[in-house]
Order: sequence, then structure tokens, then C-alpha cells
Amino acid sequence: MVMIQFVNGLMEGMTLFLIASGLTLIFGVSRIINFAHGSLYMLGAFLTYELVPLIAPGTLLGFFASVIIGAAVVSLIGVVFEVTALRRIYHADGLMQLIVTIALVLIIRDVVRMVWGPNSITVPMPDALMGAIVVGENYFPMFPIVVFAAGLVIVLAMIWVIYFTRAGILLRAGTDDRGMAALLGINERLIFTSVFAAGAFLAGLAGGLSAPYGEVNHLLDTTVIVSAFIVCVIGGLGNLYGALAGALVVGVTKAMGVMYFPRLSMVLIFLIMAAVLIGRSLGRQGGSAR
Amino acid sequence: MLEVNRGGFAALGLALMTAFAGQTARAEEPVKIGFAADLTGACAALSEDEMNAVKIAVDELNAKGGILGRKVELVVRDSQTKPDEGAKVARELIVDQKVDVLTGVCSSAVMLAESAVSAEFKIPFYATIGSTQRANIELYQPYFWQTQANATMEAYAAAEYVAKKSEWKTIATMGSDYEWGHTSVAAFSERLKKLRPDVTIIEPIFPKVGETAMAPYITTALNTKPDAVFAALFGGSLGSLIKQGQGFGFFQRTNLVTLMTVDTLQSMGSAMPASNVYGIARAPFFALEQTPEVKAFVEKYRAAYKEYPTDWSINGYDGLMFYAAAAEHAKSVAPDAIIKAISEISYDGLRGKGLKVRAFDGQMNAPSYVGKAAKVADYDFPILTEIEKFDGAALMMPEDAIAEARKAAKK
Repeated sequence: MVMIQFVNGLMEGMTLFLIASGLTLIFGVSRIINFAHGSLYMLGAFLTYELVPLIAPGTLLGFFASVIIGAAVVSLIGVVFEVTALRRIYHADGLMQLIVTIALVLIIRDVVRMVWGPNSITVPMPDALMGAIVVGENYFPMFPIVVFAAGLVIVLAMIWVIYFTRAGILLRAGTDDRGMAALLGINERLIFTSVFAAGAFLAGLAGGLSAPYGEVNHLLDTTVIVSAFIVCVIGGLGNLYGALAGALVVGVTKAMGVMYFPRLSMVLIFLIMAAVLIGRSLGRQGGSAR
Repeated sequence: MLEVNRGGFAALGLALMTAFAGQTARAEEPVKIGFAADLTGACAALSEDEMNAVKIAVDELNAKGGILGRKVELVVRDSQTKPDEGAKVARELIVDQKVDVLTGVCSSAVMLAESAVSAEFKIPFYATIGSTQRANIELYQPYFWQTQANATMEAYAAAEYVAKKSEWKTIATMGSDYEWGHTSVAAFSERLKKLRPDVTIIEPIFPKVGETAMAPYITTALNTKPDAVFAALFGGSLGSLIKQGQGFGFFQRTNLVTLMTVDTLQSMGSAMPASNVYGIARAPFFALEQTPEVKAFVEKYRAAYKEYPTDWSINGYDGLMFYAAAAEHAKSVAPDAIIKAISEISYDGLRGKGLKVRAFDGQMNAPSYVGKAAKVADYDFPILTEIEKFDGAALMMPEDAIAEARKAAKK
């Protein structure tokens, strides 16, 4: 029981990380808190819903192909948004950025409602992932295990890109010192646009991957953005490893909390968040995280 | 001087006009239905189904010459699933639009907010989706009634159904962590204990509202090896429970008893487990007695909206038709005449004959339906089979119990 609950927590943590990673990546580089991140996640889920019946329905390959194509489309939408709106307000104050990204939230929500209606939809799960691995009396469901594995692949891919490629060097340079990077002839605009594209892709990916495991409707955006923020705050906004640690801590705390303190499981998470915030203000994490 | 005079004349003219309008225009003025519904926000899908059906009801009434020979007019406002917004639009409908009756609400919180406005202006208000029994008990006001089973009645219906499954000995319970989830679980446990003292009811667990990561709750519930799990969940939490439960062998290891209206059945589609899901419903069209009226309504609804009516549609239609019947009986739409009439008439609606509202708390003896979810040949979504219809009268809280609860709430 403790074992399953721990695994449950890890699984939920990975889903949370997938959501939070794009948010924290975009913030790390451009210092923009993208409130529309949940909306991009939702779009990923709806696009997957459209694509799954078209590409080898029921198969594992078809599902992953649908998710990736959906995420690519979300990424394109993200680029259009970045180029037309966000690019103009990188130097504006936080309030302006808040308003612009919230405008996108409202636009996407209404478009989704117009296209797909207000009812929840179900994205079919690939047949191969329906079951569970049964060990004695313990059930370990297949679907979250595969999502967890996919999450690990994404984490490794991100680490590789950020720390071992030229694109990653440019990205870190832009994050560390924008002015100096620009002086050295690095195209700042291109970096910002690519990072936003990558962040939107991650959002779409998370949305598509999680779609078969819950309800998909036009209100998914707010549900998602709140949990993503909690994870980012615990991990330090802009800090990728922090987001991973934060997501796993939130997931496991919640799962264990449900078992031992069912009335307090949500409070526990906020207590952790408060503790981290207080700790950080004392300087232990070194102020703003990169 | 001239200015003052002109102002005075204008005021006098205005006063005369309103007085005049008040006296003569009664016959031609339409009966205005103030439809303050949660068309956006969490309740959007339910409210839209309700509104679709209410539009059909309005057309039908008008085709027959309206209510008391007056045309029926629907004035729609969006209460956004927010109590303050609901109170605001309810006020606007009453004060500016001069509606004769207020309805449409879905969320329980918005319902209580609008009910308070209805009490303030003494304008009748009825609910056909929102179903908190607080509107019948401590927050009851005489201009209110509801035409569907309230949360307690629904939970009682579930308990009656579960009690008949003699092979079920251990029942786990869970509910959304807010008023509805808590009252449903409490009412279910109370009635089941009475009916089946031999059953063990496990301490309930309460996932937060809108929770979609259900795995920890599923594991906790299954750990008690229950024969069935009663879950007062809806929307995202319910969908997630069903989808995520399959990976834990939930539907091989136990049974689920939960809210299962037509929209949920449709959105679950192929993800519905082949067996072991039992649903409580308000008015599933396939379980209604197939009278010519029901058949005609379903056909009309499908023709207009290209989908089957949901429980919310059926109840929205029944609600307005009941109001029309009350107005015809009272020969007036004056608030006090309507309120007197609602408890005098017996109405034959889509959900069957003899629907009545109890004067004491504004509760209709509305039925609940419980059945087993299954895929059948006629529909491309699962429906409820082996359905049992529970008459509302047997599920309503007795008047003295309500009086007691009201007293307790005042303390």
C-alpha cells in the first residue's frame, strides 16, 4: 500500500513536471510568467483528441505520433503569439505582461469552447496501456508508468540540449546576462522565440500525454496553471532541476497525505510551499534561481 | 423658471405614462422568464443543455397561445457560475427587465445567491439543476421551489439501491470536498445504516473539488477491500476516477456507485468499464416512460440540436412547463398567486405523472433513477440498464425533520 501510494505520487509528480517545465523554461530566459501555459496544455489535449482517430487508432505509435504532432502545432501557435504580442512587451512591467498573457488565456478558452463545445471529451487510451502490472495484490497501472518514462526521456533531452549543445550555451548565456550576450552578437530575439516555441511544445506535449487519463474540457487551463505554479514556486521559477524536484515532492506528499492525513493532504503542499518561500527569502537558495 | 417647468412636466408625463402602462398593457405584455444561468464557467455544459430545452418549451407554449393568453418571453443572462454575478443579474432581471419568474441556475452557490434576491424582491424563483437542500432547509424562503431531487434525496436513492445488493457487505465512501460531497456521503451512510445494519461503511475520503489525480484516492479506497464504493463526485474528478481506476483493476475488484447523468455517459463513451459501474441519474431520457410526449420531446430536441437531451434538458423543460401549469391554475402570474398554486397542482411531466411541490420547503417529489451502466446496441454511448425509479415522495425529508434542522441551523 505504501509502495503503491509512493509510485502514485511519483507518477503524478512527473505529470506535474511536464506541465511546469515549459513554464519555468520560458520564465528562466525571458522573465515572462506565461499565464497562457495552461491554455497551451489544453490545446495539446484537444489536438491529440482530434489526431488520435486519424493516426493508427488504438496503437502506441499512433498515440505518441498524435501527441507529438499536436505539440508541434501548439508550438507554432506559441511562436505566432510570441512574435505578434509578447515580443513587444519584454521590457514592459510585469502587469502588462500579465494582461497580455491572460488575454491569450481568454481567447484560447473561447475558441476551444466554440470549436469543441462545453462538454467534456474523452481521449481513448491506447489499447496496450489499458492494463496494469500486477505484483501479488498490488496494481501498477501501465499508462502512468509509460507517461513517467516519457517524462524521463524529456528531462534527459532537456538536460542534453541545455548543457551539451551550442543552442544550450546560447540559451544559458542569454539567461545569465542578456546585455553581454547581445554585445557578443547573439541574436536575442531568436533565442526568445525558440525558447517560447520549446516551452509551448512542452505544454502541448504534457496536455496530449495526460489527455487519456482524465477529463478534457475548456476549463482545463486554470486547473493546470495553478498546479504548475505551485511546483514552480517550490522549485524556484526558472530552475529546471528545481521544477523536477518540486513536482516529485508535491506528487509524493499528496499521495502519502491522502493515506495518512486525508483531511490535510492539500494543506501539506502549501506548508511545503510556505517553508520554501521563507527559507529562500533567508538566502539559502541564493535569491532568484536560474 | 422655464427650465423648472419643463422638468416638472417631464416628470409628470413620465409618472402618468408609467401609471397608464401599468393599467392597460397587462393583457398584451409577455410573461417574462428571467433565465439567469451559468452559461460560462464550471456549469457551462449543463446550463446550455437546460437552456436548449427551455427554448423548446417556450416555443411550444407560444404555439399554444402562451401562458394565460400572453406570449412567453425568455430573457437570458449569464451568471458565470459565480454567486455575486448571479445575484447581480438576478437583480437586473427583476428591476430592469421586470421578469415574472426567475430560473436557470445550475451551481448550488449561485442558486442560494439568486434565491436571496428572489426573497428580497418577492419574485418567484425555481431551480431545475442546482440541488442543495440548504435551499429547502435553513435558507428556505417562500418564493422558492426546486423541481429535481435535492442532494439528500439522491443519496437516499443510492442507499436504497445499494441496500438491495445483499452480497455487498463493505462499502467505501468518497466525496468532493465541499458541501455537496459531504452531505451526499452523510445522507447515503445514514440511510444505508438504517436499511442494512449488517453493512460496514468505511470512513469517507474527500478529494478536493476538481481533483483529477485520483490514483491516491483509488488506492486508499481499494485498500479497504470494499464490495462497492459510493462516490459523490462529478465532472473531472468522476471522469478521472473511472479512467484511472481501470489501471488499478478497480472494476474487477469492486463496484462503483456514483452520479451518472446522460452527459457523463456520453463523454465517457468507450472509456466506460464493461461492468461494475452503477449510476444515479435525474432524468435519463432512455429510462423515462416512453409516452407520446416524451417521444415527441426527444425527437424535437434531437432535430434542433443534433444530440440527445440530457437530464438537465429534461428537467429544464419540466420546470418551465410546471410553472406554466401553476400560472394557468392560478389564472395569474402574480408572485403570491403562483406560490399558492405550486403546491395545489399535480403536474404530469416528462418524468411521469403526479409531480407536486411541497409547500413546507418548496421541494418537488421528483424521482431519481439508479441503474447499471452498460453498452447496448441502440446507442453509441453507454446507458443505464436494470434501472430502478425511486419515487421522490419516499425520499423527501419529513417536515418535522426539516423543522428540526432549521432550528438547529439557527443556533
